[in-house]
Amino acid sequence: MSLEHSTKADLPATDDEAMLVRVQREDFSIDEELRRVRRRSKRIGGIAMFLGTARDRSKGKDVDGITFEHYEGMAQKKLREIRERALKDFGVIEVLVLHRYGEIGIGDNIVLIIAGAEHRAEAFRACQWAIDELKQITPIWKLEHTPEGEVWVEEHP
Amino acid sequence: MIQLFGMTKMLAGNQGTLSLALPDGKRVKDLVSVIDAAYPKIGELLQKKKVLVSVNQEIAHEDLEVKDGDEIALLPPFAGGNR
Repeated sequence: MSLEHSTKADLPATDDEAMLVRVQREDFSIDEELRRVRRRSKRIGGIAMFLGTARDRSKGKDVDGITFEHYEGMAQKKLREIRERALKDFGVIEVLVLHRYGEIGIGDNIVLIIAGAEHRAEAFRACQWAIDELKQITPIWKLEHTPEGEVWVEEHP
Repeated sequence: MIQLFGMTKMLAGNQGTLSLALPDGKRVKDLVSVIDAAYPKIGELLQKKKVLVSVNQEIAHEDLEVKDGDEIALLPPFAGGNR
């Protein structure tokens, strides 16, 4: 009890919580984000991570770059919902959800999910669910730049 | 004012927002009719539910009443991605 208390007292609790769900233009450091999740609790014994990066091919066509557009406010709201549901339904200790917007170069980071749990099974399950759910419910759109022009991508027509 | 995203901006002639007058007490389906009259291409996608209407940052049912000051947006299919 007292241990848990002292661990939490070391954290800038509200700041850290806001940092666990972000939509940002700039790139992120995977090491830094992993540290952010790990320091939330010493009970974490398994961490699963999904990193989405920009491919140079889409549906058989070359892609030179991608621009992501998001609905400011609603995108953050949906990502917060995903974190909260993952925490509630999957028995994990912490979940971090980040998505970039703006122009993204080929090979660059786009999206990061980190799920920390006591054991690997919950971490894997929460991580997979979170990225699948993110793609279904988060108002983020992808404009692919191809040699033939720009195309808004519709994966769920 | 209705916020536009992705391909709906293009279909509205590269505008980020639409200003359409909607009388009081109207529902999302009435808004869809008003958009359909002014922008038939967007209207068609709304009818097919390829583009969804959000009210106050939640996807809205067609029978939801739209109130003054509500935040309204048109949401084309999300980026998704291959599984």
